[in-house]
Amino acid sequence: MVPPSADKPLLDDLQTLLGDRARAEDFELGLYGKDGSVLEGRPAIVCLPINSEEVRCIVNICGDHKRPFIARGSGTGLSGGAVPVGDPVVIATAKMNRIIEVDLDNRIAWVEPGVLNLDLSTQLKGLGFHFAPDPSSQQVCSIGGNVANNSGGPHCLAYGVTSAHVAAIEVVLPDGSITVLGDLTAEPSGYDLRGLFIGSEGTMGVATKIAVRLTQNPPEVRTLLLDFSDVRDGAAAVSAIIAQGLIPAALEMMDHRAIEVVEAFVNAGYPTEADAVLLVELDGLAGGVENGVEVVRRVAEAHHVGEVRLAADEAERALLWKGRKNAFGAVARIKPDYYLHDTVVPRGKLVEVLEKVYRIADAHNLIAINVFHAGDGNLHPILAYDSREPGVLERVHAAGRAIITASIEAGGVLSGEHGIGLEKRDYMGMLFTEHDMATQDLVREAFDPEGLANPLKILPSGSRCSDSFGQHVPEGAWV
Amino acid sequence: MKKVAVKLGIDSEDLASCVSCGLCLPHCPTYRVTQEESASPRGRIALMRQAESTGLIDQTFVDFMDACIQCRGCETACPAGVPFGSMMETTREALTQQTSYQSWWRRWGYRVLGCPNILTIGSRALAVLQRLKLLPSKLALPKIPLMQAPLVPSGEDVWLFTGCVMDVWMRDTHRATQRVIEAAGAGVRFPDKKAACCGALHVHAGLGEEARRLARRTMSAFPGDAPILVDSAGCGAQMKEYGHLLNTSDAHKFSQRVLDVHEWLVNHLDELPAAHANPPRIAIQDPCHLRHVQQAHDPVRVVLARYADPVILDDEGLCCGAGGAYSALYPDTAAAVRERKIESINRAQVHEVASANPGCLLHLQAGGVRVRHPLEIVDDLMRKDI
Repeated sequence: MVPPSADKPLLDDLQTLLGDRARAEDFELGLYGKDGSVLEGRPAIVCLPINSEEVRCIVNICGDHKRPFIARGSGTGLSGGAVPVGDPVVIATAKMNRIIEVDLDNRIAWVEPGVLNLDLSTQLKGLGFHFAPDPSSQQVCSIGGNVANNSGGPHCLAYGVTSAHVAAIEVVLPDGSITVLGDLTAEPSGYDLRGLFIGSEGTMGVATKIAVRLTQNPPEVRTLLLDFSDVRDGAAAVSAIIAQGLIPAALEMMDHRAIEVVEAFVNAGYPTEADAVLLVELDGLAGGVENGVEVVRRVAEAHHVGEVRLAADEAERALLWKGRKNAFGAVARIKPDYYLHDTVVPRGKLVEVLEKVYRIADAHNLIAINVFHAGDGNLHPILAYDSREPGVLERVHAAGRAIITASIEAGGVLSGEHGIGLEKRDYMGMLFTEHDMATQDLVREAFDPEGLANPLKILPSGSRCSDSFGQHVPEGAWV
Repeated sequence: MKKVAVKLGIDSEDLASCVSCGLCLPHCPTYRVTQEESASPRGRIALMRQAESTGLIDQTFVDFMDACIQCRGCETACPAGVPFGSMMETTREALTQQTSYQSWWRRWGYRVLGCPNILTIGSRALAVLQRLKLLPSKLALPKIPLMQAPLVPSGEDVWLFTGCVMDVWMRDTHRATQRVIEAAGAGVRFPDKKAACCGALHVHAGLGEEARRLARRTMSAFPGDAPILVDSAGCGAQMKEYGHLLNTSDAHKFSQRVLDVHEWLVNHLDELPAAHANPPRIAIQDPCHLRHVQQAHDPVRVVLARYADPVILDDEGLCCGAGGAYSALYPDTAAAVRERKIESINRAQVHEVASANPGCLLHLQAGGVRVRHPLEIVDDLMRKDI
């Protein structure tokens, strides 16, 4: 760690700019060291800007002092993307939470990065619109964080992930200049730098204003809960539903343990005896939706479904979704810590990989809980553990590596929507050649030649000079 | 900053039970108005962990802990069931015992709540000053009564708890409550001065010893087995937790007798006068200690629905900012939190709001909201001829 005295000139400059919104008190710094993952770091200084201009000045000051900076939204990321390593300045965008403009003619809203995902949709409700990406953490995650991670969510099966819902972004680039990537036209010309920035996890600058596309609320919504006494039947039903040519708005799966913890929290009548449930949502015009419900029912029956429960009203629908969306936090009812993976496998391999996940967890004496976006094959195996148990972390990491290996062998990828961050950075070599990664590093360097924007994330350090990927977590971060 | 040694003594299982998912953040009133991690439940738990692991705290730690309203909205939101309220109470009691956390003037203020005679005299003095226009208007106090007629018992079926400030400033609310209970066919009994204060604010302030003393004294004022009805959500929540606070079999038995008055009324609805044809639209503000602590907010809706058209606010039970003594200690934060509540009330488009807690009532009234206790509204409507 840099001794505090070395931070003094930097802190002075930042406090001249921000006053008491630049902080370096011991207790407060500790609060910006973590996101929703198990990794932990520590910032040198925390800044709480309230507008683009302040962010621009902070980045400039960091450049003057050659100090890395990290943007942070609500701190709910699951891959350590916002975990501060290398004594950085944390730029917390939570106070930048204004909805600047809603343009219904163009179905665009300009928002600041700290606007909470669900707040935006709630505010738009009366107008009949919403912001489609709906991560499970949508009640608290920020739009800026969604842009950084190209976040998904249950309804991205039909609607597409964040990238499909952002038209343009005002960004402060790592050199301290401010620019807009993308524009509001349907077919922008030139390279799609907006698309490049979305999902770059803060390594190409800080988003300060975002033009999000607004989606019309569907006229009709039906939500079904299907229970299966064998998780394999449930997984097979997923592929069969989509093979019918039906793309549900959402198609989620929860296994037995997940159902138990979720039901303990929401009391929604989830069948705690079932081996697995599917939560299926259909939306659109009434006729199509009713037809879809029948298709789902028929397919489910062919796959030995227990009960087919159709949510009777909006309250029941909301309660079922509340269960699904709080599942990760509810895992603490089993063990106080969890390590969450995010691999994606071809839908047809769901059963095979799920079985491997359970075997891997058993072999490492861990509990595996599965709650995931079954429709797009995006697995979320949760390894629940108690970090106070000696030696448990080694087992968690070994099991995690085995799960990732099994997913990649099945033709899958590392991450569906949580980002690579710090956590999965050293697995990149399992998916990409060194040449691939060196090329990606060149792209990053084009934006950030000094390497100050959220360094040590996504790509293994020294991707361009063939460093080995032996070290799992960089110095300064701990689990 | 100077650090001092402190042992908070929070159960380590409780501390470990938070996985830092952050789902509590939007349900925390102080996070909502500051957007700062230190003002969020997740942040406060992380601070408690830091303090427990190092055994050291400084003034920033104390300030962060003191700025929590203790609404416990985070507990309702928490999928892991983290017992935040008791962790915060433990923290504050440790700070009170081991540091100079609670100043002499704050301790004195809390002590007066348990002394009905001093409270009455003090209140009369305030009432006189108010009538002489010598009180600064920014205090936004309600009209304080100069003299109040005593409450008159009407039987021994149920007890009605009267409390401290509520009895001194809002005795008419008790009268309305009594009339509604009587209309439901029960005779009402009142406790003597031993039940002058439930001790809720003392627990919140970390004055555990004083809180336990007041709890024991309050219990002694309710002999027999009759249900103890409470028309103040904060007091009811506290009295239901006496079992946990004192951990004696008497205290557990006592807590089981305590009911929010609406919980009792839902089982006696049929005995109340007939409902009206054109019920007025009334928005319901759920007091945090009714919704998040007692989880007894539904009965208010049921009771009110007999005479009115209740409208549920769209803010998912976010605190109004009153928080017992909080609005006096942190007027700016409390007003900012209230502003969100007022926006939600405005969206509900009603003429009047019902709130079943005296602290919320006074705080909302001070913010210009037309608000009454639900049973004052019911008392009014059920006696109206149509």
